[in-house]
Amino acid sequence: MLLDLSGIQKRFGGVTALRDGNLAVEPGEVHLLLGENGAGKSTLMKIVAGMERRDSGRMLWQGRAAAFQTPAEAAAAGIAMVHQESLLAPHLSVAENIFLGREQRLPFGWVNRRRMVEQAARLIEEHHFPLHADWQVGRLSPAAKQLVGICRAIQHGSSLLIFDEPTSSLSGAETEEVFRIVRTLRARGMGVIYITHRLEELRAVGDRVTILRDGATVHNGPLAEVSTDRIIQYMVGREMVSIYQRQPLDPGPELLRVEGLTRRGVLHEVSFALRTGEIVGLAGLIGAGRTEACRAIFGVDPVDAGTIFVEGRAARIRSPREAVAAGIALITEDRQRTGLALRLPLAYNVTLANLGEISHFGVLDRQAQNRVTTDYIARLRIRCSSGRQAAGRLSGGNQQKVVIAKWLFRRARVFLFDEPTRGIDVGAKAEVFAVMDELARSGAAILMVSSEMQELLQVADRILVMRQGRISGELPGRTTQEEIMRYAALEPEAI
Amino acid sequence: MMQRLLPFLSLIVLFVALAIASPHFLTETNLSSVVRQTAVINTMSLGMTVIIIAGGIDLSVGAMLAMSGVLGTMAMESGMPVPAGILIGVLTGLFWGSLNGFLTTRLRIAPFIVTLGTLGIIRGLTLIITGGLPVHRVPQSFAFLGEGNLLGVPFVLWVVVICAVATHVVLEHTRLGRYAFAIGSNPDAAVYAGVPVGFDTTAIYALGGLLTGLAGMIEASRLMTGQPTAGNGYELQAIAAVVIGGGSLHGGEGSVIGTLIGALIMGLLSNGSDLLGISPYLQQAIIGGVIILAVTVDELRKRRSHGDG
Repeated sequence: MLLDLSGIQKRFGGVTALRDGNLAVEPGEVHLLLGENGAGKSTLMKIVAGMERRDSGRMLWQGRAAAFQTPAEAAAAGIAMVHQESLLAPHLSVAENIFLGREQRLPFGWVNRRRMVEQAARLIEEHHFPLHADWQVGRLSPAAKQLVGICRAIQHGSSLLIFDEPTSSLSGAETEEVFRIVRTLRARGMGVIYITHRLEELRAVGDRVTILRDGATVHNGPLAEVSTDRIIQYMVGREMVSIYQRQPLDPGPELLRVEGLTRRGVLHEVSFALRTGEIVGLAGLIGAGRTEACRAIFGVDPVDAGTIFVEGRAARIRSPREAVAAGIALITEDRQRTGLALRLPLAYNVTLANLGEISHFGVLDRQAQNRVTTDYIARLRIRCSSGRQAAGRLSGGNQQKVVIAKWLFRRARVFLFDEPTRGIDVGAKAEVFAVMDELARSGAAILMVSSEMQELLQVADRILVMRQGRISGELPGRTTQEEIMRYAALEPEAI
Repeated sequence: MMQRLLPFLSLIVLFVALAIASPHFLTETNLSSVVRQTAVINTMSLGMTVIIIAGGIDLSVGAMLAMSGVLGTMAMESGMPVPAGILIGVLTGLFWGSLNGFLTTRLRIAPFIVTLGTLGIIRGLTLIITGGLPVHRVPQSFAFLGEGNLLGVPFVLWVVVICAVATHVVLEHTRLGRYAFAIGSNPDAAVYAGVPVGFDTTAIYALGGLLTGLAGMIEASRLMTGQPTAGNGYELQAIAAVVIGGGSLHGGEGSVIGTLIGALIMGLLSNGSDLLGISPYLQQAIIGGVIILAVTVDELRKRRSHGDG
């Protein structure tokens, strides 16, 4: 046994993060760690990696009792963690990041830069990673950054590698690449713990599975012996409809029309229309220009050509402020960065985009603010202690609902959702879909960018596919993943 | 709740300790001199509170204070009535504050750099205007602002209280104040929500400048001089008051009450040191230590309350 945790407990102030964490990992296995947000996965892993200390419970590392006080101690013992957004130094090179904290030292504190670069290059070569030792890490794609994190772990001779949602920001091809690497690591006898939210990808990598719910291990065993529906049940602790399928509406009048949207080198002649009551999917590989299209429509990036019509009238949109005034809302995949003021109360966040409605001559009406907030908390079933709670304290799904509440209160009619379910657990996903459905029913038009084709098939009325900055096809909602992939990945002649 | 309570409790403890340690502390003369001495930093730090909440900083307020005092007193010297001179001082601050805001938002340069630059420019211009010499010939009635009494308490106390209430109302009850919190907490999210970030940021620096201009006139009135070298290092005291009072240099946090408590703690420390005969050199070191202590306590509190699954 490589790692054996039993009865791990951990409290933060008055909150119990872990009640009874159990996990056993063998060398040469890929062990999936599943659970909803807040179930205690991250805390358990932080305890293993020396970033947090347990209150009680037993931890055996390679058969001996262990309690790592710092990440450095855990790393020295052979435990490495590859983070969601790898903790790297963006201004340093790939090689420098790989050796960060373990530089090849020469006398007088000098660093042996050449040796470091050579070793990094050899490692990259050996694994056929699409990296170069001299590249600056800040300029790399999320996928490449993860590879750097993996290199770091391998270089340090780790025997247990923890992946925290490695694929959440990766495209299909990049995901395959990560899986390939995970399999090679397993073949070398390393233990791998793999945390993911994407249930579709479980079977591609996992050997065994441990499921946490509310801070306790509720199931563990071989992955082959448990069905995906069963896994979901363990995670959410109740029976639920595993496949959500939206009933489409008859679309109403046109709300948004985009004509010939062009941004040199990024978007080429992008044209489409959204009607009230519609949820339109926007599919494509990473880099196809989906996020860029949303940003251009919302006035974040300037465009070289193209017109945007809102309710039939040409709208001049050169800044998010003008887009908001035109009734457009952009909900980006990175809601913590662009959607929420995390340290401010929920009530501030909900009302931020429409303070005009709860103020007279610039003076805020706090009662109106609290009324509005209470109303949206109830309507969107936001789980919180009160409107005064800081937005950053909510779970991912509830944060997403706060962002949606903000736009509902702004009376936005065109919603651009960029990866609305990223980092959200299964139970909350269904709720986010339900909210989108309600939005559509109340007369909004929705564009939904998603890399999870299964989701698009469940939710969208029709699906636009982008490839290399162009709309390469439009498909009905009841199409297949294969069909979407053909438009997303193939040259037009080959389709 | 603790974060509001802790600075307040420290203030009370300090007050009681001083009352016990020195028989001269709880006298009307001494207390009103504390009020007069702290009025300048208090007024300045109110503006700094709003700026810091909005995620900014203004290093030029000390220099701004000097120029306001100089231009205001020069206007009086040239025969203008006292209120007009005060207005000119206040408008001087408003002008430089607006320029600071305009430069940070238009040029997108970090406010630390912009105001470090304007600090030099304003100080230099002030010295050129005056030839390095203080402005002395001011009307006797100008002393009322800094040294007069109204209804039995120092007149500046009224000024500070009115400014504090006004700033509190702006921060907690107006759109501008709410936007200040939003911009400071997450500027990107503010832009995406359609907040007029550029305009409001400029307005916030302008407000800070206006209060600094007023502080400059209070200082000039107390000295009965327009001193071109006045206000040296005041920017750091203003920032310290905000930070001791729970403001965060990361933006999005801070309050008027906290800042006033912070400024008072610093004022009492220096007054107490004077009364107890502690050297002014040591005073500086004590205040420096208090700043670090206050921020450490605040950080520990935040870290303890942040834990996630």
